[in-house]
Amino acid sequence: MLDVDGLHVEFQTPDGPVVAVEDVTLTVRKGEFLSIIGPSGCGKSTVFNVIGGLLTDHGGRVAIGGETIAGPHPAIGMVFQEESTFPWRTVIDNVAFPLELVGMPKTQRLERARHFVDLVGLSGFERRYPGELSGGMRQRVSLARTLASEPKILLMDEPFAALDEQTRLLLGDKVLQIQQELRQTTLLITHNITEAVQMSDRILVMSYRPGRTKRIIDIDLPRPRTSAIVGSEAFGRYVAQIWADLREEASRGMNDDELRRGAAGAARTGA
Amino acid sequence: MAAAGTLTALRARPWRDPVILLRVAIVVVLLGGWELLSRSGLLYRDVVPSLGAIGGALLALLSSGEFYFHLGVTAGEIALALLIGGTLGLIVGVVLGGSRFLAAAFESYLYYLGPTPKIIFFPILIMWFGVGPGSKIAMGAVSCFFPIALSVAAGMREIDRVLIRVGRSFRASAWQMAVKIYVPAMRHPIINGVRLGLGVGLIGTLLAETKLSNKGVGFLIIQAYSLFDMPRMYAMLIVLFVVAIGANAAIARFGGLDTIKRS
Amino acid sequence: MSAARRPDQYAPLVGLVAVVTALLVLELLIRAGIVNKFIVPPPSEIITSFERVIVEEDIVHRFLLTATECLTAGVMLTAFGILGGVLLHRFSLLQRACETWIAALASAPVVLMYPLFLVIFGRNAWTIIMIGFVAALPPVILKTLEGLSGTRRVLINVGKSFNLTPAQSFWKILFPAALPTIFVGLRLGLIFALINIVGVEFLINFGGLGQLINELAERYDLAGTYAAICFVILVSVLFFMALERIERWLRPAH
Repeated sequence: MLDVDGLHVEFQTPDGPVVAVEDVTLTVRKGEFLSIIGPSGCGKSTVFNVIGGLLTDHGGRVAIGGETIAGPHPAIGMVFQEESTFPWRTVIDNVAFPLELVGMPKTQRLERARHFVDLVGLSGFERRYPGELSGGMRQRVSLARTLASEPKILLMDEPFAALDEQTRLLLGDKVLQIQQELRQTTLLITHNITEAVQMSDRILVMSYRPGRTKRIIDIDLPRPRTSAIVGSEAFGRYVAQIWADLREEASRGMNDDELRRGAAGAARTGA
Repeated sequence: MAAAGTLTALRARPWRDPVILLRVAIVVVLLGGWELLSRSGLLYRDVVPSLGAIGGALLALLSSGEFYFHLGVTAGEIALALLIGGTLGLIVGVVLGGSRFLAAAFESYLYYLGPTPKIIFFPILIMWFGVGPGSKIAMGAVSCFFPIALSVAAGMREIDRVLIRVGRSFRASAWQMAVKIYVPAMRHPIINGVRLGLGVGLIGTLLAETKLSNKGVGFLIIQAYSLFDMPRMYAMLIVLFVVAIGANAAIARFGGLDTIKRS
Repeated sequence: MSAARRPDQYAPLVGLVAVVTALLVLELLIRAGIVNKFIVPPPSEIITSFERVIVEEDIVHRFLLTATECLTAGVMLTAFGILGGVLLHRFSLLQRACETWIAALASAPVVLMYPLFLVIFGRNAWTIIMIGFVAALPPVILKTLEGLSGTRRVLINVGKSFNLTPAQSFWKILFPAALPTIFVGLRLGLIFALINIVGVEFLINFGGLGQLINELAERYDLAGTYAAICFVILVSVLFFMALERIERWLRPAH
């Protein structure tokens, strides 16, 4: 359904061009849950922006159903990492937003929106404002809003990164439940190994900058899954395997960071 | 929890609330002192008229058709001034806020011209727009343009970028982006800008009226001055202050500046 | 990205060029007779009037007069404004009673009381100074209050742990911590004061720079009026910039 072929993204920085993503190729099959996991700085958010159509300056090809994309594609729904609910709209108006954009009449879109508000477990909160909700609830609103546009592919960039572990596990359950119910094709970008193994059919491990495909792993755990599966032996083995891959990449990232911070500090003190 | 109990008790019996008591006391002392000063004959007659005289003038003012005519003139001038200055300010603010280059080129002119005494432009505006309402409207428009333009420009830059990306990810048209995302996201800076703009626009228009006019509240104030009708002047200043402060508060309230909607 | 950065550096220059070009275009339009030169004098004439106005109209003396008025108002503002803020901070009942009133006063058209002040103080510098003072007082008081109230709890606790007396705690901790915000209030106040002072000078035709503009306008010296206005704007802008410099110097870490 979604084909990424030889994706190559380069950025201009004051220190010269930097390759963020190099030759990434992947395919997402219909109904599949694919996670992309990698250390910070590996370019996964760049991949997210490219597939979402917000970043069009790249080499390689991204195609949906065979059609090359040039900008945000109607078949793709994006859920962002940061707080993205509209603070001036109620929950129901937030969720109804994509339906409003396409001109759906009011009663119809409110009814449709209510369905998705219920789906994410926020029934009763329709008239509340995001400012009155917790972080986890706001992310659920963002999710419901994206689902309301009924995208063929759900694209999520670390949607639970800002939440505490327990909320994250429970929300992960929720997303899994929704995904299984809707048979939603989903592409999840994350740095959290537990989350990735818990939810995915396949996992693509990315290397540190320049981001390349390090490995693609099939997760052969039975469905339907819940957070309870986190305790099983097979689960642990997958996590260990991925961590082994990631560890090397993550420490390269950390060293780079320390070097950069050291250099900046030296520059500040005029060393 | 004790605090909540105290609050409910106070709301039930407001005369026990120390804040209200102090306020009443301050008002009583000020008014009492005023009346004493008025009767003492210390100052030149009528510089401090008695409260009764001021009250009488206030009553006479509020029940005279003439006053409402002039009030209407001033209100009309301010409304037009806000419309013209505000629209221009909005457009310029959007343009400057949306383009880092243009902002770097031109915004500092607005920023440094803002805190200058605009009334000194009045002679020029008289030459350009005549001695009628035109020059007063122009004065008000020039005054309110700056705070609105600067507020809107700053507001554009402070919009949470992710909200723009949400709009783009849902393929909103340019008009939909403007109306459904940009404007609501900027509601606080816009309201604040309008509040400030109204304040200075009001001052600009009224001062222009005091300088050169034969209509409007500003004219009435100067007329009272030239006739040395002090109670009337005080009465008009009171009405003016009440209206100005009230309008300010109304805009702040209407803009929802104190509601939960704030993110 | 670096290609996009370079144009930003040239932006102020582009802005300046645009303004100068606009003035040149105006000059041409006036000379061509398209714009009436008795309503808008040519920029070249305005520039030459500068020298005339400076020499003939005793600009230095006028400037000093306006400056003295501002200075007086400024001293009063500092004294009463900071004192007011300190009192409100010290007596929380007073603060709860008066703070909203003072904020309301900040949005009131105080300068419109100038006819009243004319009657009370007469047609002299004191009317001008008092309007500047009263109009600019609220922001100084409110910012002083804000600065004192906003002192971080932990700093006050440090003082307590050293057993400082209330007076010591105030002078050694609260006041220095509040100083940057207090200066913001003073800056706002001084700007308001200058605006109102020059404005009232213009309106009552008395004083320094504001009065000069009024006089030149009444003499129908068009180019001179424009030149004087430009001069006052220049003084105002420089004053504002100077205050900003001082403020930045006072809070280097912020």
